[in-house]
Amino acid sequence: MHAIAVSLILAAGASEPASAFSRADLDFFESKVRPLLVERCFKCHADKKQRGGLRLDGRAHYLAGGDSGPALVPGDPPKSLLIKAIHGNDPLGTIKAMPPSGKLPAREIAVLEEWIRRGAPYPLASAGKTASSNIDLVEGRKFWSFQPVRPLPAPPTKDKRWATKPADAFILAELEKRGLRPAPPADRRTLVRRAYFDLIGLPPDPADVERFVQDSARDAYPKLIDKLLSSPHYGERWARHWLDLVRYCDIGEDYYPSKASPYLYRDWVIRAINDDVPYDRFVRMQFAADLMAETKPADRAALGFLGLSPLYWKELKLDHVVIKTVVAEEWEERIHAIASTFLGLTVACARCHDHKFDPISTHDYYGIAGVLASTRLADRYLLPDDRVAIVIKARSQVADMEKRIADLEKRIKALTADKKPDRKADIDKLKTEIAAIKKLTPDYDAPMAAGLEEASLHVLPDGPHRTKLVYKPNEAQDVAMQVRGNPGVLGPVVPRHFLSVLATGDPRPLTRGSGRLDLADALVTDAAPLAARVFVNRVWKHHFGTGLVETPSDFGQQGERPSHPALLDDLAARFIDNGWSLKWLHREIMLSTTFQQASFVAGHPGREVDPGNRLYWRMNRRRLDVEAWRDSMLTVAGNLDRTLFGPPRALRELDNNRRTIYGTVKRRETDDLLRLHDFPDPSIHSPNRVPTTTPLQQLFTLNSPLLRLQAVVLAKRLQAEAGDEAKIRKAYALLFGRQPSPGQLRLGLEFLRPDAGNWEQYAQALLASNEFLFVD
Amino acid sequence: MIHTLSRRQMIKALGGGLGALGLGAVLNPPNADAATHHRPRARRIIQLFMNGGPFAPDLLDPKPAINRFAGQRPAAVQLRTENETGGLMPVPFRFQPAGRCGIPVSELLPNFARCIDDVCVIRSLHTDNPNHGPALFLMNNGSITPTRPTMGAWLSYGLGTENVDLPAYVVLCPGRPVRFAELWSSGFLPAEHQGTYINHTNLDPQRMIPFLRNSNLTLEQQRRQLTLMQRLNEDHQAERGVDAALEARIRAMETAYRMQLAGTDAFDINREPARIRAEYGTTHFANGCLLARRLAERGVRLVQVYYGNGQPWDTHRNHNAQTRDLCRDIDQPMAALLTDLKRRGLLDDTLVIWGGEFGRTSTSESGDGRDHNHWGFTYWLAGGGVRGGITHGATDDFGFRAIHDRVHVHDLHATILHLMGLDHERLTYRYAGRDFRLTDVHGHVVREVLS
Repeated sequence: MHAIAVSLILAAGASEPASAFSRADLDFFESKVRPLLVERCFKCHADKKQRGGLRLDGRAHYLAGGDSGPALVPGDPPKSLLIKAIHGNDPLGTIKAMPPSGKLPAREIAVLEEWIRRGAPYPLASAGKTASSNIDLVEGRKFWSFQPVRPLPAPPTKDKRWATKPADAFILAELEKRGLRPAPPADRRTLVRRAYFDLIGLPPDPADVERFVQDSARDAYPKLIDKLLSSPHYGERWARHWLDLVRYCDIGEDYYPSKASPYLYRDWVIRAINDDVPYDRFVRMQFAADLMAETKPADRAALGFLGLSPLYWKELKLDHVVIKTVVAEEWEERIHAIASTFLGLTVACARCHDHKFDPISTHDYYGIAGVLASTRLADRYLLPDDRVAIVIKARSQVADMEKRIADLEKRIKALTADKKPDRKADIDKLKTEIAAIKKLTPDYDAPMAAGLEEASLHVLPDGPHRTKLVYKPNEAQDVAMQVRGNPGVLGPVVPRHFLSVLATGDPRPLTRGSGRLDLADALVTDAAPLAARVFVNRVWKHHFGTGLVETPSDFGQQGERPSHPALLDDLAARFIDNGWSLKWLHREIMLSTTFQQASFVAGHPGREVDPGNRLYWRMNRRRLDVEAWRDSMLTVAGNLDRTLFGPPRALRELDNNRRTIYGTVKRRETDDLLRLHDFPDPSIHSPNRVPTTTPLQQLFTLNSPLLRLQAVVLAKRLQAEAGDEAKIRKAYALLFGRQPSPGQLRLGLEFLRPDAGNWEQYAQALLASNEFLFVD
Repeated sequence: MIHTLSRRQMIKALGGGLGALGLGAVLNPPNADAATHHRPRARRIIQLFMNGGPFAPDLLDPKPAINRFAGQRPAAVQLRTENETGGLMPVPFRFQPAGRCGIPVSELLPNFARCIDDVCVIRSLHTDNPNHGPALFLMNNGSITPTRPTMGAWLSYGLGTENVDLPAYVVLCPGRPVRFAELWSSGFLPAEHQGTYINHTNLDPQRMIPFLRNSNLTLEQQRRQLTLMQRLNEDHQAERGVDAALEARIRAMETAYRMQLAGTDAFDINREPARIRAEYGTTHFANGCLLARRLAERGVRLVQVYYGNGQPWDTHRNHNAQTRDLCRDIDQPMAALLTDLKRRGLLDDTLVIWGGEFGRTSTSESGDGRDHNHWGFTYWLAGGGVRGGITHGATDDFGFRAIHDRVHVHDLHATILHLMGLDHERLTYRYAGRDFRLTDVHGHVVREVLS
């Protein structure tokens, strides 16, 4: 950043291309200059450390310079900061004397002056690794998560009867290795609640619980799963998990007003999940629904993933290099969101330097950045093209007439003394025409989705002081590498391409149009094994509370290794073989014996051997997320409005009884309820929510109008029962799907003595209880 | 056993998902040293944020050359800022050496001048971008975008809270600063670390803290309800064995109950004696300073006091008159805060920070205004571990660009963390495969300002 700010005023040679030097000059550099730099300068000014933001180990680096500007001016030693620094006699004292250990001998100073006089030659091959990369792709491709996946034979286990699904054998084999027995199956009351919360995020009706508990048919449980998977509320539950990854919001940056309705994307995700759209297609549509042959206009809503990307303020009064930095920040955020969501890779690190841990080069990074630089966020109608053309034409006509009306009104105002009736008539005529156009255009008010279009962005100087943004429709561009992430110092232009490590030979070019369809194709073909592993693991984590890989968006070197690698590979491979079907995956997981275990077994040795339950010797107890918690309260109070889809509404409005996924999400200001309960920051990709337990949350539970209102309504609902005991029983059935114990009944009756508490207080205590918040 | 581990080790050991469970009661060591890298010099911070950006040569960085070359544009001021500016605009305010140290302080700050011996004036701050948004982000989270955890979130994550009955990071503003909640976001850190924003325009504590009190139940009624709830919870847990998550919520519920009283007390400045109220004054900023002291005293790690709604220090027009008003507003409360902290022995381990997101130009904008200036501006620090009565760094002759001992915002952050006992290179959080820091890959502790 330092270098960027400085390059505003001292743009000397900033964009000069690296050029070849004569053999003699390079020999001079190697024999005289490099040893000197290594000995005197590189300790603080090379790849390891950059004191004052300065690197000297590469031509691009020293031309970019550090905090005080470019380190040298090729051919002009006296003007070069480096020379001033080693002389240590800057009259203003601005430039620190270098090196700090003391002044260099005169002959060494002479060498450096001669070097700069010759134009500061530096061999290209070692020019700070900007042109080439030291990444060993052959070695890199050997990493576990880049391997192909294939279905694996189930490992042998001693217990032959426990497993019901392939996943079980992998789990059991590991448990047996450590001498552990899995937990017994959960009782049916527990199981039915678990299934409801997992799949639809709502508690079962007491009648549903009893029906399932009484149903002794062998296929009662698979049928329950089928029923839940076909519920429209299933999509609401699982869409919210997806929306965390893609930093969905209803209200983004107010400085770039958009006419789009972001909720169309949210609704598209809900529908896609309900329809079990194959995951590979689900991915492709989010990049390029408008470019795919086999999609409907309504599918353009899928483009909201990138269409709702955060936009950073571009102050056009500033220098274009500053604005390029802002644009580069936007690319970084989008690349981060894409790579983390779909690949579980941390590609954004490679913006400034090759990835330190994973085989991802800066070259690869800018290969993808070019796709984003060729794509513009744009509002899109969800209509066939011919109808879009009609709306656009009608709207432009209306805009035109409205402008004319405004002009006429201005003129009338200016001529107050002489109000000409004919102007007034003109206005009325125009207004009639507008009304007619609107009436004749049935799609006139059709909502637009936050989407994308093909256009490349060019950030250009606009006179000496200002910057302009120029979009070129349907013109893709490749972008140049930015040395150390500095858009003022450019390396070579990089053809758009996919990550090299995920190709078998040359990386896949991303060249059709902007390349976003190619990019999506690459994610689910070249990268299919990785993409499938990442997705399968996310789903597993939602079902179990922990992932097979506990860093769900980092499957690289820095990420965790899978607890059950063969299980993950097998599940991923069969997920692909089964048409990337999410519903297949739910069944595969939920019908397993592993999933159906109890979450608590007294005295189980697993507590000692594996306290974190990484081996799944029992089910994990999980806390409801904020959506499921609020939705459950509304359900048991009898308040829940089960309407699907549509515009968002603020959650703080107490008569808003819709599911929490339809609550307004603002990027600038999160709703109190969401903010207090681990809702992720909608400006960045969230790999998973980290559940926290804070006193501020409990203040909400104790004192918020939401809890109070639901308690009041629930208390009223209970009054339909005759007698206090029956009311308490009803409450337990609604909230917990069970009957109270005699002790709990007694507690309730004591609390409700006429001189003591009332039903509202009692109802709130139940809503606030741990049993209501946790799922066994 | 738990207390021998720091919060961070604990979080690592338990893995992200479980790490934050124990929150308040379990993981917050009552003695924060357990989590520090070295002996802290300050335990808490009060940051007075002059949103909009003040002009130092009016206040603490006198530059007679501005008046001498009034109307001219010497080469040194040919620097790009947000808007085009004209010639040097004279400073009408006089300076007097103050305190034993003799640091010149503007006539605009007569009360503050009496505290100068406790204050370290850094005249060589600089930042990266002359736009409010990016500069506010950089000052708060070390980057020009809203995607990183803010300093307060880092402190809460690194040190926890000293008082489990109060949030660790509180943001006070009589209104809403520009960019609002993004300025105290926890970014990718667990959500518990975000700042708790409080609009103190209305001084009723129940208006300030959301859901602090129940409007419907008396405390006795609520205690009864809570007892019922906890009996049910104990029942529930007894059937399920040891479970840290269940226990944590039971404890947090009790804490919340106590907080209704503690919070009411902490946020109620009407409980201050009239004498103290009079010392601070009656403006919103004065109330903010007094609230900040009450919170700091009770163990809140970072209290940020934004001067006002929007960006009041953004004087693009009518700069001198506005500055006069703004200074009249801040002078008495700032002095009262420092005096009050000192009298209570709190200044020794409370760090007070003052400054904006950037400074302003010594050249004029639209005749009588000043533009944003990110090239050089002034911050002052006082209290915990800071050398009082000194200046550090210098801007050029016109107060435009920091030239001597330049202190980047990253350096300021490194220094603040250092004073709090944290090494800015070791306070990290693994996200997206990278160990992130407040200072990214930058930052040097400014040792010269340490006592």
